[in-house]
Amino acid sequence: MNATKSLGSNFGVYANQARGLIPLLVLILLVAGSSLFAPGMLSMGGLSSFFTDAAPLLILVVGSTLPILAGSIDLSVAGVAALAGVLIVQLHPIFGVWATPVVLCGAALFGALQGYVHAKLQLPSFITTLATLSIVTGLALLLSNATALPIPDDDSIVGWISGSLGPVPNSIIVVIAVTVILAVALRYTRFGRDLYALGAGERTALMSGVNTIKVRCVVFALSAFCAGIGGVLLSSITGFSSPSIAGNLLLLSIVGVVLGGTAISGGVGGLGSALVGGIITSWLRVITVMVGVAPTTQNIVFGVMALIAVMLTTDRAKIGIVK
Amino acid sequence: MSTILELKNVNKRFGKVVALDNFNLELRAGEVLGLVGQNGSGKSTLMKMLAGLQGPDSGEILLRGQPVRIRSAAMATSLGIGMVHQEQSLVPNLTVAENIFIDKPNDATRGGLYRWGALFEAARTQLDKIGVDIRPDALVEELSFAERQQVELAKVLAIEELVDHPPIILFDEPTSVLNPDEIKILFREIQRLRTRASIVFISHRLDEILEISDRVLVMTNGVKVADKQVDAIDRDELYTLMVGHEREKKEREHTQPVQSSRPNPRLRIRKLTDGNKFKNLDLDVAKGEIVGLVGVQGSGAEELCRTIFGAEDSVTGEILLDDVPALSQGPRQAVSNGIAYLPSNRRLEGMLAGRTLVQNMVVTYGLEYGRSRFLVDYKAEEAAATQWMSRLKVKATSGKDRINRLSGGNQQKVVLGKWLMSKKLKLLLLDHPSRGLDPGARDDLFEAIKEQARQGLSIVFVADTSEEALELADRVIVLRDGQITASYDLQQGVIPSQEDILRAMI
Repeated sequence: MNATKSLGSNFGVYANQARGLIPLLVLILLVAGSSLFAPGMLSMGGLSSFFTDAAPLLILVVGSTLPILAGSIDLSVAGVAALAGVLIVQLHPIFGVWATPVVLCGAALFGALQGYVHAKLQLPSFITTLATLSIVTGLALLLSNATALPIPDDDSIVGWISGSLGPVPNSIIVVIAVTVILAVALRYTRFGRDLYALGAGERTALMSGVNTIKVRCVVFALSAFCAGIGGVLLSSITGFSSPSIAGNLLLLSIVGVVLGGTAISGGVGGLGSALVGGIITSWLRVITVMVGVAPTTQNIVFGVMALIAVMLTTDRAKIGIVK
Repeated sequence: MSTILELKNVNKRFGKVVALDNFNLELRAGEVLGLVGQNGSGKSTLMKMLAGLQGPDSGEILLRGQPVRIRSAAMATSLGIGMVHQEQSLVPNLTVAENIFIDKPNDATRGGLYRWGALFEAARTQLDKIGVDIRPDALVEELSFAERQQVELAKVLAIEELVDHPPIILFDEPTSVLNPDEIKILFREIQRLRTRASIVFISHRLDEILEISDRVLVMTNGVKVADKQVDAIDRDELYTLMVGHEREKKEREHTQPVQSSRPNPRLRIRKLTDGNKFKNLDLDVAKGEIVGLVGVQGSGAEELCRTIFGAEDSVTGEILLDDVPALSQGPRQAVSNGIAYLPSNRRLEGMLAGRTLVQNMVVTYGLEYGRSRFLVDYKAEEAAATQWMSRLKVKATSGKDRINRLSGGNQQKVVLGKWLMSKKLKLLLLDHPSRGLDPGARDDLFEAIKEQARQGLSIVFVADTSEEALELADRVIVLRDGQITASYDLQQGVIPSQEDILRAMI
């Protein structure tokens, strides 16, 4: 204990700064390493199809990062993504091309409500969103009879997303645009400040006059909104709604957040980290397939990665209290 | 007297900060050693080292002449070293008996199985030793604050049973959360203990140190600067040794409350009632006035501050701030009414641990310096925060330091600065502002508070001691069981004695 203590304190300052750069380093090593045996991945076409594939997960990771920064967690994102995909098909006859905006607004409303329940009634976010995950996943299966339905051809929004601008897929443009707007909001608005304060110490935030309930509502609205976009992006890739996708994305979205270096305990991290984490996760997903890891074994790899990432990003200063 | 515990050339560093620098200490059998020093002087590190929570980087610890390495709290206990923590360390949802034996092997819990009857009996024996009548099967959360302190003491004293020689007992600021009566009881226990234990006693209250100790040791920056028998030193000398300069003897100069153009006082409280905490309370505070509240735990003084800040439920009555209704439903509303609150629990309610000083400062009012109500202006707010930090004399290398790295006094200044950043503040509530601060840091803080009052801010504070109330306040109000039992306007020359105040308190 003595040795680790003094080591930790001597290098504490530098370690804290370096810790933030570890995920980026991991990503660079990962890309460099994989280019050795799969040079095709770094070609324009390879990258273009990689990012098309990665876009839904990236936006989910960005969305899930917000509640985690605020000291909560949103497990329902994967379910919201699945339900959003189903609803843009189901609501198309009613709203036509407006189906996507309507679904996204609905997702944000749902998220705000979820945040309100969690914050106002003081239910732990973990269990609240686990319950709503089950509810929305179930709704997605119920409404679609558990079958993947084709996206109507005349849905021009989804159509546009599936296209690309030169070699850059439109889906990744959407992801970057949303991320940049959110990042600016986090850095330059009262909301961003309150969000970080909440994550660093909820009682202090409350006693400093932060409207904790409102911040939580907005946070969960934004994460559900991002999840909705994730659902739309997913549908645009495959051309089908995918009601049973949730199980697959749930773990990956959380893994992405922690791999990027956002601390699960709240207050530390950001959207840049989220993008890095999301890309690492997606890259790993592709690489594991390429090196011949069976899809059935992939989950084991991601589970182990998640554990390692949490070990690296947890702030040991708060040791002793683990929940 | 024989030496029980000896530290030889002990060093401990945290990064660049030297906590203990070739430190030597001798503790003799049956003595009470008073330990004083400013925040960050290394006292806590020393205590933690003896309690097994931290190890030295180098140096030797000798216990009864034998070198030891104290690797854990459990090991410290088995060596006969016990610590009474500043904030209580009992587990509230367990019984008194379980708490007493939680860190010690005992026949009643052998093999991990509880034999409840035997456990309660063993606890009874320990409680009898200090002559208190608390049921061993009561849950700790059901006990009063003072009773918990007694259980804490019984828990530490039970260490005697583990070792066949007198134990060493460390008291880390045990009096900071006690009222005068409870302190008397504690001191009586310590007097009784000295026949069968060696004691290290830390306090920021120099009078207490002089009263209870045989020998006093002064620390500065991890170095021992004085080691004297108590009868060879007086209070002023002790202060000078500790703070490094003489205490400026200031006459009570009371600021005239700023003449307000309004006929009514700035803060007007009428018939304020909050459950059983206080009933029908009336209080006026003028602009620029400092009101000191005094009362024992549960008297309603702390609750009154929290209520005005909107942090308590079920409040009825009337609060007017500059003639505007200001009964706040929550802290956020209080903040927008221009009310600030410095909590007594700094760690939990005052600071954002892990964030920088500037980030802590700007959390509430940063947007007052923003580009708009919603857009942050980093440059402007950082300039304001930095200016406040230098006005409050916060000792830090830069505003980007994490607040955890600062000493308690400096943390407190940052938390205070968070509120003072506002240009619209009208009322400042301070709940035990000097708790855990050394005399030097305390004087700095009080100076800053007085300065704010001169600028026209109204201030209500809950005093740690009646001396403190008399030193800082323009008016002292004593509360008991939620009622105002005495009020002394010091500006009118009504200066009560300590006894007057004490009588009104209990």
